[in-house]
Amino acid sequence: MKQFGKLLSYLGIAFLTLSISILLILLVGSSVTQAFSSFLSGIFGSFYSVSEVMVKATPLILTGLGVAVGSRSGFINIGAEGQLYMGAIAVTFIAFWLNDLPAMVMIPLVILGGFVFGGIWSVIPGFLKARFGISEVITTLMFNYIALSIVGILVRTLLKDPASSLPMSAFLPDGATLPTLISTTRLHAGILVALISVVLVWLLVWKTPTGYEMRAVGLNPRASKCAGISVYKNIILSSLISGGLAGIAGVCEVSGLHHKLLEGISPGYGYIAIIVALLGKNHPVGVVISALGIAALQVGSLGMQRMAGVPTSISSIIMGVVVLLILARKSLFRRLLTDE
Amino acid sequence: MDSGFIALITMYLVASVRMATPLILAGLGEAVSEKAGILNIGVEAIMLSGAFFSFIVAFFTGNLYLGLLTGILGGILVSMIHAVLSIHCKANQTIAGLALNFMVMGLTSFLFLIVFGQTTTIPACNMFGDLKIPLLSSIPIIGPALFNQNIFVYLALIGIILTAIFFYKTEWGINLQAVGEYPQAANSAGLNVFAIRYFACFINGVLGGLGGASITLGQLGFFMENVTSGRGYIALVAVILGRRNPIGIFAAAMVIGFSQALQYNLQTLGFPIPTQVFTMFPYLVAVIVLFLSIGKSIDPSALGIPFERNKR
Repeated sequence: MKQFGKLLSYLGIAFLTLSISILLILLVGSSVTQAFSSFLSGIFGSFYSVSEVMVKATPLILTGLGVAVGSRSGFINIGAEGQLYMGAIAVTFIAFWLNDLPAMVMIPLVILGGFVFGGIWSVIPGFLKARFGISEVITTLMFNYIALSIVGILVRTLLKDPASSLPMSAFLPDGATLPTLISTTRLHAGILVALISVVLVWLLVWKTPTGYEMRAVGLNPRASKCAGISVYKNIILSSLISGGLAGIAGVCEVSGLHHKLLEGISPGYGYIAIIVALLGKNHPVGVVISALGIAALQVGSLGMQRMAGVPTSISSIIMGVVVLLILARKSLFRRLLTDE
Repeated sequence: MDSGFIALITMYLVASVRMATPLILAGLGEAVSEKAGILNIGVEAIMLSGAFFSFIVAFFTGNLYLGLLTGILGGILVSMIHAVLSIHCKANQTIAGLALNFMVMGLTSFLFLIVFGQTTTIPACNMFGDLKIPLLSSIPIIGPALFNQNIFVYLALIGIILTAIFFYKTEWGINLQAVGEYPQAANSAGLNVFAIRYFACFINGVLGGLGGASITLGQLGFFMENVTSGRGYIALVAVILGRRNPIGIFAAAMVIGFSQALQYNLQTLGFPIPTQVFTMFPYLVAVIVLFLSIGKSIDPSALGIPFERNKR
């Protein structure tokens, strides 16, 4: 009965979200059927559009996975955006510094570099939280802005392409670029990196004692401490992994998609990551599914704008509404959820 | 000092106060909310809603005061959603704030497009003019900066004084703090924790909405997608930097406002320093302040934690 009530409450959320979307479409004055069909054809209409969903999902899987790992041990990481940019900085530096290495060596090296840079960016707030109890919410947020500014400074000074007047780096050497998987699309090997990370994180967090400790700390830090689990060590570790994964997302965006460092490589992936982790229940498999879902929502809304004239900002509204409804779920559907 | 130097200082001060005003207003609201234990990172959403609704009403009625009022209502609307979620539903306050940012960001650009369509000319409305306060405005240097400004600057200054009195000189302020520090004890002492938290969120909405309106009706005279461009997040930094103290928030907002003013100026002068150096400055200062304040407890103990009456 309780399981059934839970299912019904999620169906209720889906219904409410759908009603709000229809209301918004009617507000624009577009036909609802046309909007929905253009939404679907925007996603599944062509081989290219499906591949675009995967392209968008790649950074969302990685950053979302990072946020999920953090949440599991009680580290609320709002800083995935900044960590992503630190990873992007790392790959650019390493690629130009060791520019003649073959891809076999270079690719693992830049991924490692991205992990370390992103990890450092998140371990500082993690350390402040674990050691001094300073809330990570605001520190990670501030680190986002610092990272963004550092990118802005670098692409105008140290890493600037002298041949271009725009604030961006030169193209990365060939050895540092991730191969494109299907030639007519933008789909790159980053999706594989993301999926491998998902498996590794799942193994680490769900199948090892270390992962067990991390999850225990997230569930009840005090009980863990009494049981001899170091809260400090586990928060540091999970914040390192959390930021590291976001850093890898930055590596994939630069070496897989843009092939150079520039501002605005992330349209807020690091913030959407928090929604991805929430919808995916902080579980690796859930993260993959919700990242694909949100990527599809964004790609589909582009189609809806093109063909039905509905502004793409509808995807942002829907994301916000879904999360708000999920947060309110237990109160909204109290009757369904209490066992009668 | 020669007069040219004084003129320069005055000019920067005037610009800094203007830049700081939305941050002061929103920051004060957030400080009230955080003191009561509600961490709302949706300040950006509150401000954006205030900016949007104040503009729409000012544009169609031509009445700026009506616009200001609807801006406040827009802010209250958003902050009350956050309040219900975090007080009644006991939801994660950070995620609720973030979700509101997404929703309001989408909704305001959506509605703006519906109302005005894809236009090449940005629709503009009137703005509040400067009100010169006699005598006070002729004080050298600080006179023009503080006493020859628009209504929002005065509201911000009055807000600083009122919040400071509220926090430190009234019983209400102590109750507010008690609710944020140790709600169980406050509850035992007969305070209505829920009501006080709702009240704090309400104030946050009023001041945040005002902060948003100050951008459209005080600084720009128009609205565009994401017009607040992260000022809500900067206000959060100002609150941390000013340690939730109204005077501290004023000082922090002024530092941020000054670096913004300097940034625009250097940009127009074509200095070879990337402007991001200045963008980064306030955040760096905030991080350094955080490091320096290590060891002292600065956050209210119950910040971000929902209160449940029958739990200990």
